[in-house]
Amino acid sequence: MINDTKLHQEFHQIIVQHKGILFKVAKTYCQNEDERQDLLQEMMVQIWKSLHTYNNKFAITTWLYRVCLNVSISFYRKNINRQNANRQIFEEQLSIQEDTNNEKQEQLILLEKFISQLNHLDKALMLLYLEDKSHAEISDIMGVSVSNVGTKLGRIKEKLKTKFSQINA
Amino acid sequence: MNENELKSLWQSANEKLAHSLIINIKNTEDITRLKVNTFLSSMKPVKVFTLIVGVVWVIVIGGMLGSIFVFAGNKNINLFFFCSATIQVLLTVISLAVYVYQLDIIHKIDFSEPILAIQEKLSKLRISTLNVTKILFLQLPLWTIFYWNEKMFINGSLFLWILQGIITFAFVYLSVWLFFNIKYENRNKKWFQLIFRGKEWQPIIQSIELLSQIEKYQEQENKNTLV
Repeated sequence: MINDTKLHQEFHQIIVQHKGILFKVAKTYCQNEDERQDLLQEMMVQIWKSLHTYNNKFAITTWLYRVCLNVSISFYRKNINRQNANRQIFEEQLSIQEDTNNEKQEQLILLEKFISQLNHLDKALMLLYLEDKSHAEISDIMGVSVSNVGTKLGRIKEKLKTKFSQINA
Repeated sequence: MNENELKSLWQSANEKLAHSLIINIKNTEDITRLKVNTFLSSMKPVKVFTLIVGVVWVIVIGGMLGSIFVFAGNKNINLFFFCSATIQVLLTVISLAVYVYQLDIIHKIDFSEPILAIQEKLSKLRISTLNVTKILFLQLPLWTIFYWNEKMFINGSLFLWILQGIITFAFVYLSVWLFFNIKYENRNKKWFQLIFRGKEWQPIIQSIELLSQIEKYQEQENKNTLV
């Protein structure tokens, strides 16, 4: 039985070590900064509440992606009574634009726009793909077969290719 | 730009951003103590309260109907009122059963399970609220017959009965039609959007959309299995 202090430490460690995962998922599902803070808070609450169920047979990142994506997909602004409107958990200190060249910046904006137009499940799939997760890992996180991951990703990538070629034509 | 370039562009941009994030440690610690209204915890008290009120309602009204039936005897009862009230109580019991089903799902939700499985459970949970609405619509005709009595049959004019017949038939038709047609396949129909257009229905409508996305994934899963 893990005691409370150990659980607190573990929770803190997970958040510090994997803050990037939380933030990337939140950024994919929420463009609005205020809502993103709400979503991040909701994610952290669920991570804290589910921590005791964490099973070592899964990689911590697989477990984290599941919790964060499940929270993001079911997140609905109206259901959250924000208790601490000024509570900033994450502060963004850097703007992406700072040291990327214009062409790359444009491509990135285009990619983000494309992702924002995908439905909730395809968005999760695309995010995991861009994070370089293997098909087996994506299958574990999503709960679909490896072949289904391949088929769905193939279709999304095809759409993406068309989109980019239309812009570059 | 090829796939790998795209991936590395995405990763480098997000990595830089992630590294630059500063976590407010105190606020993180507060999360473990804070009683935040999450999606599920905000749903539970409302459902438990509704369940308690519903059970009290069924016990009180059901008890009264039972004692009227036992003590007053068949002849002294206004059958229309008695039957309307009994059906209303039975429909309330069915609604309560749906609430128990919802509470059971809420209790079983574990956000660390695979995405498709959890999202299917959550969507079905939200959509099952539609079933309660359907049941409530079934009660409509009861409000047009509970006041009928023997005197109306003896003294009522033909005009009164034609009018009453039209109203009751219209309510029966409407409630049965709504019962069978309130389903997510009809989500794009105008009448559906008219009934469920308020903000409070938005999560349910979103869940309907999500469930259809899940079904597409499952269809693909079946196709891949067959190949």
